[in-house]
Amino acid sequence: MIKRVYIGVILTCFGIHAEAQYFAHKTFRDTRVVNGHSVETNNEGVAKFIISHRFGVINSGLSELFGLDQATIRIGMDYGIKDWATIGLGRSSFEKTLDGYAKVRFKRQSSGEMNFPLTLTGLGSIALNTLPFQNPSRENYFTSRLTFTSQFLIARKFSDDLSIQIMPTLVHRNLVSTLKESNDVFSCGAAFRYQLNRSWALSGEYYYVLPDQLAEGRYNAAALGFEVETRGHVFQFQLGNSLGMIEKFFVTETLADISKGDIHFGFNITRDFKLKGRKY
Amino acid sequence: MKSLIAILLIVFLYPLLAWVSSSNSLFEAFGPETPLMQVNASLGLAIPSHYVNRADPKKVRIGGQLISEGRADTPQGKSNYISRFYACTSCHNTVREEEDISKVDSELRLDYAIEHQLPYLQASTFWGIVNRVAWYNGDYIKKYGDLVIAANKSLEESIQLCAQECSQGRELEAWEMEAMLHYLATLELKVGDLALSKEEINQLNDGSASNQNKLNLIASKYLPRSPATFAEPPNDKNRGYGMKGNVERGKAIYELGCQHCHKEDGVSDLVLDDAKKTFKWLRNNISADSQNSIYEIIRHGTYAEYGHREYMPLYTQEKMSDQQVEDLRFYIQEMAY
Repeated sequence: MIKRVYIGVILTCFGIHAEAQYFAHKTFRDTRVVNGHSVETNNEGVAKFIISHRFGVINSGLSELFGLDQATIRIGMDYGIKDWATIGLGRSSFEKTLDGYAKVRFKRQSSGEMNFPLTLTGLGSIALNTLPFQNPSRENYFTSRLTFTSQFLIARKFSDDLSIQIMPTLVHRNLVSTLKESNDVFSCGAAFRYQLNRSWALSGEYYYVLPDQLAEGRYNAAALGFEVETRGHVFQFQLGNSLGMIEKFFVTETLADISKGDIHFGFNITRDFKLKGRKY
Repeated sequence: MKSLIAILLIVFLYPLLAWVSSSNSLFEAFGPETPLMQVNASLGLAIPSHYVNRADPKKVRIGGQLISEGRADTPQGKSNYISRFYACTSCHNTVREEEDISKVDSELRLDYAIEHQLPYLQASTFWGIVNRVAWYNGDYIKKYGDLVIAANKSLEESIQLCAQECSQGRELEAWEMEAMLHYLATLELKVGDLALSKEEINQLNDGSASNQNKLNLIASKYLPRSPATFAEPPNDKNRGYGMKGNVERGKAIYELGCQHCHKEDGVSDLVLDDAKKTFKWLRNNISADSQNSIYEIIRHGTYAEYGHREYMPLYTQEKMSDQQVEDLRFYIQEMAY
C-alpha cells in the first residue's frame, strides 16, 4: 500500500496521471460502407444477416421499371468470433459466386491514456465463380474460378458526425479474359459517412483503379448511400454503378458508366442476432 | 483508608460500568460484523433455506463471477452463459445503495448513487437480498403474472425467474444456484449496517421485552420486502409530470442510469452517447406515443420479442420518482440546445 502511494506521488510529481481510455465507437454504422467493407467488425457472438440487392440501370426506362425488373442478390452471414475478428460467407446471384472473408481489426482509434488517430483493419477474401466454364473443351482448372482480395482499411472518426476511410486494395484474379488484363489489380478506395441525425446518415465510396490493369469498358466504382438505423437493423439505400457486392465485382467488373447515366439502385438490409453471451 | 476508597469506587463506578455494559451488550454479544441472520436466529426466527451459514470461498468466487460476468471459470473450463443478453449486474448492484435502508426514498437513493458513483438501476441491490422475506413484490405480478407467486416466497425461485424471464436466459443448474447463494450470503446484512440508536440497543437487551418485539424492531430497520409500484407516463407528455427538473440530477440519472446499458458495446443496441444529435432525438421524442419517449420507456419498459429478446425493464416509482424523470427530461432538453 505504502509502495503504491509512493509511486502515485512520484508519478503525480512528474505530471503523469492515469487517464481513462476512450475508443472511437461506430466509426461506420455497419460492416459495409455501401458495397465495400468498413473498418467495423461484429461484436463477439453476434451474427449479422445481410441481404443485398442491386437492380438494373435506372435509365433503362419504364418497360424495365427503371431497372427493378433486373435484380441481383447477395445473401450473406457474418459472425464475430472476437470483438476484433469477424468471418463471413455469402452467395451472389451475379456470376453465381460464393465468397468468404476474414477481417481483423488491428488497432482502434483512441484517446486518453493512449492516443491513436486511426482505426486499422485488414480484410482477406476469396470468391469462387460457380458458373460452368465458358470454354469446356479446353483444360480448365478449379483454381481458375478463384479470385482473392487483400485490403487494408484505414479510418478516422473526425467527429460524432463525420468519418472518413481509405482502402488500398489488391484483387488477384487467377484467370483473366484477355492477355491485356492484369491478374493483380491495384486500386485505392475512399469512403465517408456523415450522420444527418440520430437515425439517418449519408455514406459514399469510390474505388480508383490504377490505369492499364482492366479491359476496356470497365469503370471505377462509385456509390452514394443513405442509411436508416432502427433497433437491430440497418437499412442502406444506394445509387451506384456496380452490380456486384463483393470486391471482385466492384473493383474489377464495374460496367456502368455514370457519365452516361448508367446508375443502379440497390439496398442492403442487415439484422444482428446475438448467438452467444459476452461480458458486458 | 483503603477500604473507604474501595467502597467509594464501587459506589461511583458500578452504575457507570453497568450502563456501559448494558448499552453495548448487543455489540459485545454479536459485534457490528455479526450477521443479522445470526441475531434473528438467536431470537427464535427460523433460518431460511436459501441461507448459507459458512460460505465456501471457492463457491463464492464462482457465484460472483456468474453474477457479474454471466458465466464462470470452473475446473471443467468456462461454463455456458446463463443469458446471451444480460448479466445480473446489468440490472442489479451488489453493494449498499442507500444510507438509510429502513425506508424507500428515491431521492436519497440517487444522492447515494451520485456520491458513490453507483449505477442507478431498475432492480434491487443484491446487498442484503438474503435478508429479505419476499421478492418480486407489489406490482410485479402485473408483469409476470403467476410466475411471481413462487418467486415471491423463495429466493431460489426468484433467481430462476430472473435468469429465464428477466434476462431471457436459461434455467440455472444446481451447482450454479449453489454458488450464487454462497456469493449472496457474503452480501448479507450485519448488525452494524442497521441504524440502531442507543435506546434501541437497550430495548434489544431488555430481558423483559419479548423476542417478537425485538424482531419487529430489527425488521423496522431494513426492508424485508422491497415495495414495487408501477407508474404511468403523464397524461400530457408535453407538460410532463408538472414539476421543474434539476439538470444536475438529470445528468446523474442519464450517466448512472441510462448509460449503464446504453453505452458503447453495452447491453443495448441503442447507444445513448453524449452527442447533441442523440439528445435532440431524445428531446424530439419526449411527447411520442412510442417507446422512444423517455416517459413511455421508463414507465412501461419494453418486452422481449421473437428474434429480439433484449428488452428494457421498467423503472418502478420507488426506483425512479416522477421528479427524477423530470430531472432527466430537463437535462436532455438542456443538452439538445
